[in-house]
Amino acid sequence: MTAANFHPSDEVLQQFAQGTLTTGMSVALSAHIELCTSCRNRSSELESRSIMAWLQEDEPVAAPDFAGLAERIMATPQLNEEPAKDKSYASEEDFPVAEIHMLDRSFTLPRVLARAASKGLKWHKLAGGINQAQVQIDNETQCEFLYMTPGSQVPVHRHQGSEVTLVLDGAFEDQFGHYGPSDFLMRDKRDQHQPSTEEGCLCFAVLDRPLKFTSGLARLFNPINNYRFRRATSQRF
Amino acid sequence: MTISDDQPPAEAAKPTASKTSSTVSVDGPTDEELLLAVGVSQDRQAFNQLFVRFNKRIFAMGMKLTRNEQLAHDLVQEALMTVWTKAPLYDLDRGTAQSWIFTLTRNRCFDMLRKKKRQPQTVSADDIWPQESDAEMSFVHEEQGSQAVEVAQIERLYEHLPTAQQAVIEQIYILDRTHEEAAAALAIPLGTLKSRLRLGVAKLRTMIGVEQ
Repeated sequence: MTAANFHPSDEVLQQFAQGTLTTGMSVALSAHIELCTSCRNRSSELESRSIMAWLQEDEPVAAPDFAGLAERIMATPQLNEEPAKDKSYASEEDFPVAEIHMLDRSFTLPRVLARAASKGLKWHKLAGGINQAQVQIDNETQCEFLYMTPGSQVPVHRHQGSEVTLVLDGAFEDQFGHYGPSDFLMRDKRDQHQPSTEEGCLCFAVLDRPLKFTSGLARLFNPINNYRFRRATSQRF
Repeated sequence: MTISDDQPPAEAAKPTASKTSSTVSVDGPTDEELLLAVGVSQDRQAFNQLFVRFNKRIFAMGMKLTRNEQLAHDLVQEALMTVWTKAPLYDLDRGTAQSWIFTLTRNRCFDMLRKKKRQPQTVSADDIWPQESDAEMSFVHEEQGSQAVEVAQIERLYEHLPTAQQAVIEQIYILDRTHEEAAAALAIPLGTLKSRLRLGVAKLRTMIGVEQ
């Protein structure tokens, strides 16, 4: 494994630091940052800038009066250690899915993904040697683990919203490049691509909007795809 | 949109907030001094000062992120409640008081919005922006890499750590104890154990980086 070659933009890292991205996107960013030293450093630098900006803003004139609140707060006992919930972080073994096993190898998930998968993963076979396991993280995105078996190819598709793909293990390629472990890719609706893999590839993907297949028989999948997305997000469009 | 590694160097990155840039320009105790006083001796006056310094800023952040006055109002209460209750867990190696308060405010706000949108409770803000054991986690992952650090190298560098950090690393990485067990074995508070572990691992990483 080598360091990632594809990274989130500063703009996205900044939005991540400010907490303005969807939960699904934030999870993908968090996982990439855990795997990528340079983005970890960049992200904390951008976070520092957000903090400076926050401190330099003018205070709002119309802020409500919080009289008496400080006193009420101080009536609460203080904590002497992290709340009990943090104990579940203490050991990765607590997560039922801390590792994903593939044909002849296994991969230890970044912590936030182990958390996201903690209710267990149900894998479904899709067309073209793709396996998909959705995780319900929020109701604005579709989040899933994708495992492309060696030699598989996703039908050509175009994106309606943005799609983030974080490569966890193995590698895949499309006409824009070759992507290996820890690479973070963001595609938007301008991009039409056809990913394929020789060695097999495990990814975590977050979709803002459903995929739209654009070639051949794959078009038949579109209604299903839309349906799946509606179910995943409980939204109508 | 992705960018590759050979991006231009960041333009003149400003150093992070230092103690000289306190929220108020008048002289007086720094935010860190106030926060430590709240944590160590439940100093009510110090908390009142922090409250005055931060409540409007927290409200402003809440308005920006939620665009909802009631939620922003609730955020002030939740965030400052967290400042009070968690102050004993703050120490200087967690960064400036301002960054500590910023991150806990952002995290509370993120979770409040998730709750309002009725999102599943799969992950919380603290999972997305972990405060504890960042260094340990990345250490573990980088070990899996092709630049895998040899155990022998770690053992050699480990000797150069301060004794207190060695003891903590021994408990966790050699004896394979949990944080709680290690803290009990060494008879130190859990918070102390975690910060020593964080410092020790960070120092090892630096030393390894320097060697390679």
